[in-house]
Amino acid sequence: MTKAKIKKDHLKLIFDRLKTSHRIIGPKVEGNVIVLAEIADLRDIPAGCKEQQGRGTYRLGKNSSQLSVASSQIFSFSVGPDSFKRFMSPPVRENFAFKKSKKGISISQNSSQVREISTAFIGMRACDIAALRLLDKVFLEGPVKDAGYDSLRRNSLIVGINCLYPGDNCFCSSMDTGPVIRDGFDMAVTELDDSFLLEIGTVRGREILNGLPIDEVSDKDLSEKVSKIEKCKKMIKKSIKVSELPWLIYRNLEHPRWADVAGRCLACGNCTQVCPTCFCNSSYDNLQLSGISKKLPELSGARIRTWDSCFSTNFARVHGGNFRPSRRARYRQWMSHKLAYWIDQFGSPGCVGCGRCITWCPVGIDITQELEALHAR
Amino acid sequence: MHDKSIPFEATIRWIKKETRDTATYALKINSREIQRTYTFKPGQFNMLYIPGIGEAPISISSSPTDHEIMHTIRIAGDVTTYISRLNAGDVIGVRGPFGSNWPLEEIEDRDLMIIAGGVGIAPLRSVIRHILMSGRRKKPTSRAPIGRKFILYGAKTPKDMIFRDEFPRYMDAFQVFLTVDKADPEEYWRGEVGLITGLLNKVSFNPLNTVVFMCGPEVMMQGMTKEMILRGVPGEKIFISMERNMNCGMGVCGHCMFGPKFVCKDGPVFRFTDIEGFLGIKEI
Ligand code: SF4
Ligand code: SF4
Repeated sequence: MTKAKIKKDHLKLIFDRLKTSHRIIGPKVEGNVIVLAEIADLRDIPAGCKEQQGRGTYRLGKNSSQLSVASSQIFSFSVGPDSFKRFMSPPVRENFAFKKSKKGISISQNSSQVREISTAFIGMRACDIAALRLLDKVFLEGPVKDAGYDSLRRNSLIVGINCLYPGDNCFCSSMDTGPVIRDGFDMAVTELDDSFLLEIGTVRGREILNGLPIDEVSDKDLSEKVSKIEKCKKMIKKSIKVSELPWLIYRNLEHPRWADVAGRCLACGNCTQVCPTCFCNSSYDNLQLSGISKKLPELSGARIRTWDSCFSTNFARVHGGNFRPSRRARYRQWMSHKLAYWIDQFGSPGCVGCGRCITWCPVGIDITQELEALHAR
Repeated sequence: MHDKSIPFEATIRWIKKETRDTATYALKINSREIQRTYTFKPGQFNMLYIPGIGEAPISISSSPTDHEIMHTIRIAGDVTTYISRLNAGDVIGVRGPFGSNWPLEEIEDRDLMIIAGGVGIAPLRSVIRHILMSGRRKKPTSRAPIGRKFILYGAKTPKDMIFRDEFPRYMDAFQVFLTVDKADPEEYWRGEVGLITGLLNKVSFNPLNTVVFMCGPEVMMQGMTKEMILRGVPGEKIFISMERNMNCGMGVCGHCMFGPKFVCKDGPVFRFTDIEGFLGIKEI
């Protein structure tokens, strides 16, 4: 069995099944924004919501979008600022703890880092699954495996959902990462008019359905999926011409547009925080107050790794200098990495076309427009 | 294999002061287990760690055949300043080795020109010692490189020359050419005064048969590469070691990116033609 169908109100059965063995992370409304958080109840999912996204804007409501969403639709919303990166490569994590005394130094690895409890990520979009596979390349396929990421990743179950209503800033279709999920899932869900079509990617995905009331999938169901996804593709407004990458960037590293965008960019780093593939980080020592008692070690603390951003002023700092002091160079670094360097480093662009960086940029800088502008002479 | 994301402890066996701001530290790994698995190649670097202060990427200045791991460190930031206050017997943290190495296979039957500026000679000393030691071993299996070998080294003043006491030994296998920006009037100086590019006029070498290993300030390396290419050395035979702000050492933190390259895992030693397009670009 690689495909199955369940009635719409049976979704709860799957959810309850997952809950017995998994922590469930999924879409949920917090502060008028759809974030990703632990969800205890299926009703946490903002069924039927559709947000309106623009360059630097986001409005959530039942009918705030121009798109007309079918009234029975549950998964009508698109991606919010959170991406699943937050759970696989946490914003703050401990590399190791250290103690230093007269006798020397001792370094110990925190064993609680390895989460035993499995996490089910539900409602992952095609772009986010593609992004996760890019992070796998960064963290798992380099010269040294990132053990923390590895264990979180291995303990995760991915329940994807095919997008039928794109966000206003999405351009996954041009990046060939969506809207349909092709691989990298345990289970992929398509919301049909009166049922859910389930595609099974792994044994673990199949096990979820054991004993649940499932129906046969007909050819009609499959063609309904295809036509819904085609409809979604047509609604996608933005695009990038991947065939122009990476050369459009490489030929234009000194293009006047970089100075232009530097005049608008605040170097706030929002774009890197919301981007599901931006992985840059910094490690530093966090010291505990010590020397209070003779019994305590002279010095103790932990080495902490936090998300960082190529927009940080000191990101490229070395003793006696900074390789990228200007905002022009930092924006160029970010976009060139996403759309050019990444292709050399990992074999595909580092952008999956989720549009988050466009929505969450406070001044509405649009990566698709900035790229297009490099054509101007 | 030991875990390269966690520092291991190493004890400073001895310290040798090289110049007023630079010293060589010989380290011995504390754990026998790691002693066995730790191997490196000339050109690679370690992340040296001082708990509470931080880490610094430092190239290895000893040969893999040496008994100790040596680092030649110039005081520059907080970590290196702290290290400069340590004594023999003190323990520091080490992660590594990381990065690419000098391609020794390229020099087997070719001439080698080693070009270094300032503390940039440290990662090259690893190659120099390696060659000196393999030349000494007379076993027919250990093939010592057979071509001619040159060292061109420039420093600010004679007093800033690192490994100056070792140069006589280097002359066993290398022709050594030295220059300084400024000679010290109080000291007897027999080398040249002026830019390191000027040394090229003193050296008679066959550009088509020469491999270049180079490390030093980026402007120096750019000028020198240009000169070498003008003289007919193929760009593919020039290897340069870059400096960036490595933070993780494993290509997952993004700090040391240079164009599409991660200096920590694709470098620090690069074939010139692989990074050529990015060298002249400001703030890349
Ligand atoms: S660069 Fe922007 S559109 Fe591309 S993956 Fe990152 S956040 Fe999404
Ligand atoms: S592009 Fe926008 S989100 Fe990114 S750093 Fe600049 S101002 Fe911030």
